[in-house]
Amino acid sequence: MKNVLALVIAALALPGFAFAADKPELRIGSVVAMTGPASALGLPAKNAIDLLQERLANDASLPFTVKFITYDDASDPTKAVNSVRKLVTEDRAHVVICCSTTPASMAILDVVTQAKVPNISLALGQSVIEPVKERYWIFKTPSTDQLQIAVLVDDMIKQGSKKVAFLGLEDSFGEGGWVAMQSVAKAKGVEIVAAERFARTDTNFTPQALKVRQASPGAVYIHAIPPSSALVQQALRRVGYTGPIYHSGGSANSAFLSIGKKDVDGALLGTTPVLVYTDLAGNNPLKPVIADFAALYEKRFNVPKVDIFPGQAWDAGNIALKAAAEAAKGGAKPDDVDAFRAALRDKIEATKEFVGVGGIFNYTPSDHLGLDARSTFIAVVKNDEFRLYDAK
Amino acid sequence: MDTALFLLVDGLTNGLVYALLALSLVLTFTVTRVVNIAQGEYVMLGALTLADLLQGRFPGSVYLLVGGLALCVVLDARRWRSDWKGALLFAAGMLLAAVGAVALAKGALALQLPVVAMMLVALLLVAPIGVLIYRFTVHPIPDASTIVFVIISVGVSMSVQGLGLLIWGASPYPVDPVASGGTLLGPVFVPYQSFVILVVALASMGGLYLFSEYTLVGKALQASAMNRLGAQFCGIPVAKAGGLAFLLAAAFSAISGMLLAPLITANYEMGFMVGLKGFVGGAMGGLIDYPFALLGVMMVGGLETTSAYLASAYRDVLVFGLLIPTLLWRNARQRAEAR
Repeated sequence: MKNVLALVIAALALPGFAFAADKPELRIGSVVAMTGPASALGLPAKNAIDLLQERLANDASLPFTVKFITYDDASDPTKAVNSVRKLVTEDRAHVVICCSTTPASMAILDVVTQAKVPNISLALGQSVIEPVKERYWIFKTPSTDQLQIAVLVDDMIKQGSKKVAFLGLEDSFGEGGWVAMQSVAKAKGVEIVAAERFARTDTNFTPQALKVRQASPGAVYIHAIPPSSALVQQALRRVGYTGPIYHSGGSANSAFLSIGKKDVDGALLGTTPVLVYTDLAGNNPLKPVIADFAALYEKRFNVPKVDIFPGQAWDAGNIALKAAAEAAKGGAKPDDVDAFRAALRDKIEATKEFVGVGGIFNYTPSDHLGLDARSTFIAVVKNDEFRLYDAK
Repeated sequence: MDTALFLLVDGLTNGLVYALLALSLVLTFTVTRVVNIAQGEYVMLGALTLADLLQGRFPGSVYLLVGGLALCVVLDARRWRSDWKGALLFAAGMLLAAVGAVALAKGALALQLPVVAMMLVALLLVAPIGVLIYRFTVHPIPDASTIVFVIISVGVSMSVQGLGLLIWGASPYPVDPVASGGTLLGPVFVPYQSFVILVVALASMGGLYLFSEYTLVGKALQASAMNRLGAQFCGIPVAKAGGLAFLLAAAFSAISGMLLAPLITANYEMGFMVGLKGFVGGAMGGLIDYPFALLGVMMVGGLETTSAYLASAYRDVLVFGLLIPTLLWRNARQRAEAR
């Protein structure tokens, strides 16, 4: 009886074993902030990577088996550096997806550059990929402040205002917005007539709002996250400002609506397509991709509506997979780790018209963001909901 | 002209919110010599508890309260050997208090009380946390130096804020005001909530004054504030007076948080800054002088709104910069008095 059982097990296991041994192994390492202050960004990213892993488990079409190795950096750049070093040297990952925050992504630059490992960052900051010459191995999937502000400023000009007031948080997030706003305004010939700052823990935003109203701008841009962003809009309405108010993507969440209530009606926000994909035209190539991902993610993790963060990791994973498949097709062997890493990097940089959840990616040697205005949308708050804004 | 009016109204509103904080700080410092950096955290607890109650969630501060009561029983464990009857009685009392708190929260949720009643319930749930913190951090070392207490209170502030993040998460909660809407005073739109803040702050201050002038307990509190040793010789239980001071201080700060929350939403990190600004105001009176502390917070409120208008990037620098000339002036005055 025992012998029979052993035979059966061997018979069952053998083909599986042979199948696994046939194909080389591709190792995708990722480090995200599953705990700590940035976990709101990192946890959805981890979920998306898990989802990708589950999908690939039954996929025999790839020329390799895929192994995912995921670590938590606890929102701490030092831990991110250690984890990436481990991925690169011990786990011998072919590509790294790291990290959720800009500080962590900046901290690991040296590690991946010296080890010559391609890295796809999930952070917002433009400094992660620029200057491109020094960021040879680094790519990223989330949109940038610069791109979103440029689209918003284009709309301001279209609405006939050439004077804008800036209101921003006085932390690194607000500073990023301020730097981006200055360069966009200069490029597009828009005058910044007022620039006011505030903190998340402030108890009163009226003085700044008053100053802004008295500068009589044609439009106001608020670079903050809720509650501040919604409270600043309330303050602007309270002091009698009636013009258009634009917000960064940092406000594109339900907290903004529940805090601002009636006062944020008509607010315009720069955002990625995920937020408004149901309103996109039927022939937009992004629509089916996002709808598929949203359905998958919402079902698997039982969330009512997918937000922007899981899509960024999902895109990063898929771009890496596609590049790896092409590298393998080009003759690179995953078992020769160093050569495969270099080939993989070249294939990522050669990504053309890749339709992802966060937009349409076109990486080039001079652009490691890969997104353009086709991937950036303006949402408008209408009856407590984000809808696609179509400019007239 | 409108600008000046707007700034005046806002400066006054903010000043009154800080005033309740400054009162709490002066009260705690005079009775226990604790410079309570953690005072602002009761602002956060009050605001978030009210948000929970109004939105029909079980208030998270009850977990803090029940946990604290349990810890009290644990700390009392040594007594079981020598005086088990007393210890049993104490444990039963704590259990009763815990059950009472849970019942109060559940009852208030079931009845869906109006905002003002919910504020009272939140007050009853948050204020005792002040006593518990006194029991854990000050009571065991009554003769420690002021600097030790300052360091302890920084630790308390960090822990309570961390617990707040754990219980409520990082998202902000909108809170309904006592009265929504507002009125036009000349060109200035003033929310009714600002009037509520004015009335409640003045009533609380008046209440504290009457309590300490006209009741025996209040007088005992004053006596322990003036001369700890002397009060002890007169038979005043100074340790209990300290607990009472922490209770009242927590209550005042929680009220301030509940008044502030409708204006800026409730979130786990809202308290610390408010506490510090109350401290800057309180420092005007050397943390012992109520009228000067009030004057100080009004200056802080006014300076804050004015500087936010004139140079918003530097407003906190200016407010905290006020502390330095204040301390120099106090120091000079003290020296003059000593001479």
